[in-house]
Amino acid sequence: MDFFFFHLMPWPYLPVDYEGPAWVKCPNSNYDGRRGHDVYNRYLDELVYAEQLGFDGVCVNEHHANAYGNMPSPNLIASILARQTTRCKIAVVGNALPLYNPPLRVAEEFAMIDVISGGRLIAGMVVGGGPEYYSNGLNPAQARERFYEAHDLILQAWTRPGPFSFNGKHYKLRYVNPWPTPLQKPHPPIWIPGAGSLETMEFVAKRRYAYMGIPYFHKRVFKRNFDFFREACEKEGYTADPKQMGWLTPIYVAATDEQARKEYESHFWYFAKKLLPGITISPPGYTTARSAVKMLGARNDFMMYIDTWKQVEDGGYAIVGSPETVRQKMQEMIDMLGIGNVLALLQLGTLPADLTRKNMELFAREVLPALRTRYPQTASSAQRVA
Amino acid sequence: MAHKTEMLDVRGAAIELRHGGNGPALLYLHGGGGDSEWLPLHDRLAERFTVYHPFHPGFGNSGGLERIDGIEDLVFHYVDVLAALGLDRPNVDVVGGSFGGWIAAELAHRNPALVRRLVLVGAAGLWLDEAPIAEMFGNEPPEMAELMFYDQQHPLAVMMRSITDYSQLPEEVILSQFKAMEALAKVAWNPYFHNPKLEGRLDRITAPTLVIWGKQDRLIPLAHGERYAAKIPGARLTVIDQCGHLPALEQSEKLAELVAGFFADK
Repeated sequence: MDFFFFHLMPWPYLPVDYEGPAWVKCPNSNYDGRRGHDVYNRYLDELVYAEQLGFDGVCVNEHHANAYGNMPSPNLIASILARQTTRCKIAVVGNALPLYNPPLRVAEEFAMIDVISGGRLIAGMVVGGGPEYYSNGLNPAQARERFYEAHDLILQAWTRPGPFSFNGKHYKLRYVNPWPTPLQKPHPPIWIPGAGSLETMEFVAKRRYAYMGIPYFHKRVFKRNFDFFREACEKEGYTADPKQMGWLTPIYVAATDEQARKEYESHFWYFAKKLLPGITISPPGYTTARSAVKMLGARNDFMMYIDTWKQVEDGGYAIVGSPETVRQKMQEMIDMLGIGNVLALLQLGTLPADLTRKNMELFAREVLPALRTRYPQTASSAQRVA
Repeated sequence: MAHKTEMLDVRGAAIELRHGGNGPALLYLHGGGGDSEWLPLHDRLAERFTVYHPFHPGFGNSGGLERIDGIEDLVFHYVDVLAALGLDRPNVDVVGGSFGGWIAAELAHRNPALVRRLVLVGAAGLWLDEAPIAEMFGNEPPEMAELMFYDQQHPLAVMMRSITDYSQLPEEVILSQFKAMEALAKVAWNPYFHNPKLEGRLDRITAPTLVIWGKQDRLIPLAHGERYAAKIPGARLTVIDQCGHLPALEQSEKLAELVAGFFADK
């Protein structure tokens, strides 16, 4: 089991009376570079601190034109982390491949991070969120096609001796010959986040990549998706390795259950009610019509639509409580889901710096050791620590 | 008036074609929504013409969407549709509304020999910085109703305003709507519902052209109709008052009269 510290880098200063979406049309007059300076540096400090606390890796991701996550370029953040950390894995989950043209840029930047960090990159690849297709002018009806083609181009760029030419439907390059190429051979591990589309799971299973369950759903949605993923691997003729699955979850630890809820709840609701609205926008053709209809069905199991703390607890939308409670709930979830990576979201919404640090420390000191005993570290991480 | 529905083989793609009536052939090219069904308008037109009303690829039960990546593919598609219909005359009268109006304008300038006379109704296809086309993809049905209709009491407007959550709708309705929006996005996402080259090519249209616009069209403002009429040689603009983006729904009698009158002219 590997434990990652995941940061979304949210904007914590949306006005109390703001009721619009956090995506696409959230007026950027709400952004303030001076506050942004403090926020970025604080969040970077938290990511660096995660390594000191013993996490196996850190995760960052890409989002555009929104208050939910201020990392339009996660590669910039990852490149800082490549220098400011020395041991932990750096998971960029991921780059939204269709938003790069040509996506050779991803092959280059990921290779740079991998080389600078000494081979610590986990290369995440995503289609990009629905809102991003509004914000970037890219045709959502080409999203999948471009994603698969960009993936092929990047893999070839990393593994085929250059120069060679690539003649896809969307990307045509006469000379593919990136410098640098990755340090990890044949290429960095690849993680693909997914929200439950079978097509994505089959893609991941076929190539033996890792599937990261997109969060903010009821735990039964996670369960179902990982079961589907395991099935997809069986269909490919092998049994899924837990390392191929990651569970991203908000976590908050305090001395007691009561204190944890008291300190955390308002920050959680800021996230669920202010930063999620707009994230579900699904532009035409972004998924197959059938998948889009299926996702409408999961709507009631989405964090944005829940209203009570009881729903949070019952649905496992966040793991909150005393160290004992969190240990226990995490064990239940890990056992139920059968995953080999925990992506811990220990800062959420408006959770301030002091509580975030306290949360990270309590988790690292009071929760992690017990989980480590129960779920041994994967060989590759253990080796790296040694 | 009775009309028939059949699947037409268009170079290997199965296209759902509604047709009915008697008289000279009239090809109706529907928009992104609202006029894609067989409407009273089509009945009225069918009194004077043989109306051919195919679903575009991806709409209704029409296949062939995998071949469509842009407006040019749709033009080729309609060249093929006309061939598949096997009409007696080499050319046909064409009426296009909204998205279908864009297709009609492209067909008319690229294949002038195929289009006998042309009627554009609230047509997409142009871009005017001073009169941008409103959002058609990111809005919920209630917002769309406000943009589309002059008469907010029109039954379709009322129905659309009542949809606050897609999951209320029957699955096959959502499925067909999502598929249609995907078909639209493939062609019209970016550039947004227009071809930057179209305006400069409108003078290649040789078909006599009538441009019809709803005066209160908030989706594709009247300025677009004025531009079409100014750029297509000899074109006339007729504006319908108390009408939004869909004369086919809000002013179908008037629209049928204008179309029939124009096609009867010569």
